Amino acid sequence: MNFDFTEEQYQLRDAARDFFAGECPPSHVRAMWDDQTGRSPALWRAMAETGFVGLTIPEEHGGLGMDEVDLVLLLEEAGRAALPEPLVETTAIAAPTLVEAGTPEQQAHWLPRIAAGEAIATVQLAGAPFAVDAHVADVLVLERDGRLHAVPSERFNAVAQPSLDGARRVFTVEAETGPDTAMAGGPDAAAKAYDRAAWATASVLGGVAHQLLDMTVSYVREREQFGRPVGSFQAIKHKLAETLLVVETSKAATWYAAYAIATDRADRSEAVSVAKSYASDAERKANLEALQCHGGIGFTWEHDLHLWLKRGKALEQAYGSATEHRARLASRLFAS
Amino acid sequence: MDLNLTDEQQAFRDEVRAWLQANVPGEPLPPTSTPEGFAAHRDWERRLYDAGYAAISWPRAYGGRDADLLTQAIFQEEYTRANAPARINVLGLGLAGPTLMVYGSDEQKQRWLPGILSCEDIWCQGFSEPDAGSDLASLRTSALREGDEFVVNGQKTWTSSGRFADWMFALVRTDRDAPKHKGISFLMIPMDSPGIEVRPIVQINSDAGFAEVFLTDVRVAADNLVGELNDGWRIAMTTLGFERGTGLGSHVRFSKDLEELVALVKAVGADHDPLVRDRVARLYAETEVYRHNMYRTLTRLAGGKPIGPEASLNKLFWSEMEVRIFETGMEVMGPYAELTSKADAAVDKDTWHKRYWYARAACIYAGTTEIQKNIVSERVLGLPKEPRA
Ligand SMILES: Cc1cc2nc3c(=O)[nH]c(=O)nc-3n(C[C@H](O)[C@H](O)[C@H](O)COP(=O)(O)OP(=O)(O)OC[C@H]3O[C@@H](n4cnc5c(N)ncnc54)[C@H](O)[C@@H]3O)c2cc1C
Repeated sequence: MNFDFTEEQYQLRDAARDFFAGECPPSHVRAMWDDQTGRSPALWRAMAETGFVGLTIPEEHGGLGMDEVDLVLLLEEAGRAALPEPLVETTAIAAPTLVEAGTPEQQAHWLPRIAAGEAIATVQLAGAPFAVDAHVADVLVLERDGRLHAVPSERFNAVAQPSLDGARRVFTVEAETGPDTAMAGGPDAAAKAYDRAAWATASVLGGVAHQLLDMTVSYVREREQFGRPVGSFQAIKHKLAETLLVVETSKAATWYAAYAIATDRADRSEAVSVAKSYASDAERKANLEALQCHGGIGFTWEHDLHLWLKRGKALEQAYGSATEHRARLASRLFAS
Repeated sequence: MDLNLTDEQQAFRDEVRAWLQANVPGEPLPPTSTPEGFAAHRDWERRLYDAGYAAISWPRAYGGRDADLLTQAIFQEEYTRANAPARINVLGLGLAGPTLMVYGSDEQKQRWLPGILSCEDIWCQGFSEPDAGSDLASLRTSALREGDEFVVNGQKTWTSSGRFADWMFALVRTDRDAPKHKGISFLMIPMDSPGIEVRPIVQINSDAGFAEVFLTDVRVAADNLVGELNDGWRIAMTTLGFERGTGLGSHVRFSKDLEELVALVKAVGADHDPLVRDRVARLYAETEVYRHNMYRTLTRLAGGKPIGPEASLNKLFWSEMEVRIFETGMEVMGPYAELTSKADAAVDKDTWHKRYWYARAACIYAGTTEIQKNIVSERVLGLPKEPRA
């Protein structure tokens, strides 16, 4: 029994932290708010070169052949950096779904291109109204009537739907599916793709929440009122202690869900719904307290806090809100 | 990451499970707050002892099994799953014993550890006083040296098991003039000493689970002092560290509580109410997160890293979660929640009441919720300290 990561997995996390600190500082995230496409091909290429993008793709297709347990800390780091690029959709969902449920032709066509950073993949699953980054995606993994399709960009149309998070780009999509786009996997492949989406988003939320808490702790230590740091007031301290509790423990949930997906445990879907509902609520708590403890400065466009406040708000709802995932848990709890 | 048990761990789990199946009494024992109940629990402890299960975490040299943390957790999981009786000497086995192993002299260890292990001696914790709760270091019960004895005067309160205990590990003031943390000592007091008067206190759950203990000119042998004179605060911090420890295996209890909640919801026909379903699912998620986090902590501790102030996070988590579980149960019962088992319309045989109130106590004992939040914010987050008198 060992509920921890290996030395290599921690090294990957550290490498990701350094990489994002250099390549994706808040100024970059802000620049993406104002950018026409909101995406940086240079950053994506660099992420592919480090192996991040192809992490879940087998080595024979040019990836690293790793699994969700390897990926989860990288996703947390992406959240801490508020990375705009579609790492969740491409690396955490579409690539492993193609690996498990794609036809040999789909795999041979897409996997090496994704691993090399030449193709971006996005997803639209479980009746979700939007797909993120469909404007730059080369392939859309789409769930239709319980079946998965890999739809190339010539076969779908994307209409931008501006998001409250300016660095996120979401789209309604009209896709033309057919026998030639169908993937090989059945309904469980679609269910698993959705589980991957919810889990990966929960992992990113863990990073977002962590960052919100870190920024807030630093701020309240410095900011003085009534002749002492505001972080010495118990009302502030207790809020942040409560936040730490849920944010820290939510990580145990997303780690376990990573393990449950990677090892195909029987409780995979429960583990995912536990993780997504709990991590969404944990981030919501961090979101509330972060702005409150910053006071007026946190309410300004100029302060970086809102880059994470808004990412968090968007991701809380993405791939199933806390309430939706609890409804899923309840139907199992009250099944018999 | 690998959550499977080794063959050895699996074998241990099977062994414990089989033993419990063969030995756990079919009917629950009478409550420990009554003399008969206490005696029945003592007999049960004796059986655990004879089978070598009294304190598997203790070193072999002291009669334990040197079990590592994971093995302890496996034992605790099985124990809880089997609905085995409540342990009555947790303060001896979990606090007094381990503290003695760190600070006791060889002579003291030989004198006290065997009795703790066999449950011949039940121990209670004499820390809190009427005017010293969260601010424990302001305690006033005094012990003055006279020849080879201490003369102890004062009052302890909220002493769990005080009514039945044979020994008390107590904090006493041995230097009135020193700064408050520096004048405290750790003293073992026989509860049958002349000058001790124990008055049971009835708790809000109607059990006489704790007591107040009056000490008037109680003469205690000087060699009952543990560690150095006036070094008791440091020793007490070690003891409290054991107390706030990981609660190994307690996740099984919460998972069971949750199962009972689901059964209650169905029994009262609330299982189609979307609000109730949402609340129960939230609690389920919390118990699961608690379980995963427990394994995370266990792995860290097994790797030799200290639990440190994160123990406070753990205590906050479980104490508040348990309240929410029982709170939901009370609410689900609606108007029936107020009925006791004496009411013929009752849907519950008092178990929810009793456990609900007891869960509330967990936010008070072993460091209140507010004190835990102070510890977390200061020692984990590094926020500035409270101004203190
Ligand atoms: C069921 C039960 C069993 C117990 N068993 C034992 C036992 O066996 N042995 C033993 O020695 N003791 C025992 N206790 C006592 C327990 O340790 C104390 O009740 C606890 O330490 C709190 O002290 P107090 O009751 O004096 O409350 P107080 O310290 O007076 O606290 C009152 C309120 O003020 C808050 N407060 C106090 N200080 C601060 C602060 N600095 N910042 C913010 N808020 C603050 C507290 O959180 C609480 O809400 C037991 C208690 C219970 C309920």
